[in-house]
Amino acid sequence: MIALFLAELRRSWIQFIRYPLEAILGVFISTITFYFLFMGASYIAGPGVNLSDSAGAERLDVLVIGYVLWILTLFVLTETTNSLEAEAKTGTLEQLFLSPFRAVTVFLLRALAGLAIRLILIAVSLGLILGITGSRLSFPPLLLLPLVTMLMSTYGFAFLLGGLLLLFKQVRQLLGGLQFGLLLLIGTPVENLAGLGRLVALMAPMTPSAGLLRDLMARSVGLDWAMFGIALANGVIYLGLGLWCFSWAERLAKQRGLLSGY
Amino acid sequence: MSILQVQNLGKTYRQGKQTIDAVRQVSLSLHAGEILAFLGPNGAGKTTTIKMIAGLVRPDSGQVRLNGLDPHRQAQALKAVGAVLEGNRNLYWRLTPLENLEYFGVLRGLSRRVARQRGLDWLGRLGLEHKRHATVQTLSRGMQQKVAIAVALVHAPKLLLLDEPTLGLDVEATQTVKAIVREIAASGCAILLTTHQLDIAEALSDRVAIIRAGAVIAEQPTRELIRQFSGQSYRIELEEPLPAALAPRLAPFDLTIADRQLTLHRGDLLYDLLEKLRPLAIQEIKKDTADLTEIFLKLVQEKTT
Repeated sequence: MIALFLAELRRSWIQFIRYPLEAILGVFISTITFYFLFMGASYIAGPGVNLSDSAGAERLDVLVIGYVLWILTLFVLTETTNSLEAEAKTGTLEQLFLSPFRAVTVFLLRALAGLAIRLILIAVSLGLILGITGSRLSFPPLLLLPLVTMLMSTYGFAFLLGGLLLLFKQVRQLLGGLQFGLLLLIGTPVENLAGLGRLVALMAPMTPSAGLLRDLMARSVGLDWAMFGIALANGVIYLGLGLWCFSWAERLAKQRGLLSGY
Repeated sequence: MSILQVQNLGKTYRQGKQTIDAVRQVSLSLHAGEILAFLGPNGAGKTTTIKMIAGLVRPDSGQVRLNGLDPHRQAQALKAVGAVLEGNRNLYWRLTPLENLEYFGVLRGLSRRVARQRGLDWLGRLGLEHKRHATVQTLSRGMQQKVAIAVALVHAPKLLLLDEPTLGLDVEATQTVKAIVREIAASGCAILLTTHQLDIAEALSDRVAIIRAGAVIAEQPTRELIRQFSGQSYRIELEEPLPAALAPRLAPFDLTIADRQLTLHRGDLLYDLLEKLRPLAIQEIKKDTADLTEIFLKLVQEKTT
């Protein structure tokens, strides 16, 4: 299992660095896009928002975190679906199912390996964004915990989409619409909600983890362990659901002879 | 020793309200070192059968045993199989041949060290050492196919599934792939080969199975099948035209005579005829032998009508 993870890590890394210009362009585009988004947001908010006072700075930091998380989740979802589609076209997808490792294990290890690369990209992008906007986020080690739960539900979603891709081949349109849905999931201020709205937000994928990350990184509030418990349960449930759906889709695809023929 | 056992395999697909019997009651077996040519027209059920053997398509009925294990229930069974499937090259195009061999070796259960060593061995055997640092996308189609075959064999499987391995290759690359297939079989690996190039099937296979409309309509050792479909006649070519005086003495032999060429329709009379021809110089004696293309067309068309 470890050998396979290292092989996946090596494969992902080689594919990433073989065309360095492509990688650099990816970081550049995401950073520039954010910069314009940020400028646009400041313009729409008008001169009433003062970014030099503490409330304004907090709002800016929340915006930065929201955007970075949005990039990360988008990366995860598009990477999973794009690579599945590309592999189906080049014939390597069927080869992955010819392994004595279960397909879901191969794809999970592959996801973890891909994540390591993605995190490097995100770190570079985040560094650039902080440099451009002057935002000063804090990075307490505890933030890794909600980050992991956030990624668990994101990968749950990615596996769900991967399963759909195995069966229906075309999920690009779905992914396009999902981008805005992700903004809503990540941006919903679960930490400020009450009543039914809070309950719904706590059950939504990624939302509780995103709230915890905002607290930790932008507001320098300590980790709310009860909230983390909820975020963890949320991550476990969505990841489990995604993996189950993927395995179910694999069985159905084999039943219907759909693993190839894109 | 039987590496592959397929019994009564069946698969039906549904398209709307229509059902299509893709594979019906297919049974096959394959022993170590044996090459089985699995032939049939397009849409006959070859690829579906191969994918059911590889665990990629689940059969509706029947069973597959790879080295005694069921690939649909026991993932370890897949260690015994390697496959080069139709169409694409089954490789990561941004990786080099050695990187592909290493990755797929680990994916099939080898350690990285062993996968790398075997990868290097294969590149040497295939004459691709000089391309070990080139990405797959820069290789010729023939080289890509060689790498794909090596990738399918890096974990030393007992069964190799080859779906159209020479499709789109030039003459030289085709000859190389044929030589590799022979070499692999000689090392004890069983090979299930599908191809539309029947001369290749004839040259390589020990046995032939012909499938049509999802059912196997013939399965026999290649030589036996060819013998069965070959006539009993012999063609005898003389160095000089047959002397006219000799013709009456040959009347009982039911011969067709055309200048220097005699066709004997009863093979059992060959030696009697040769006695009568003595001392005429004979250039060639050839038995009328069918080829696999004729046999294939005959069988497939016969069953159609």
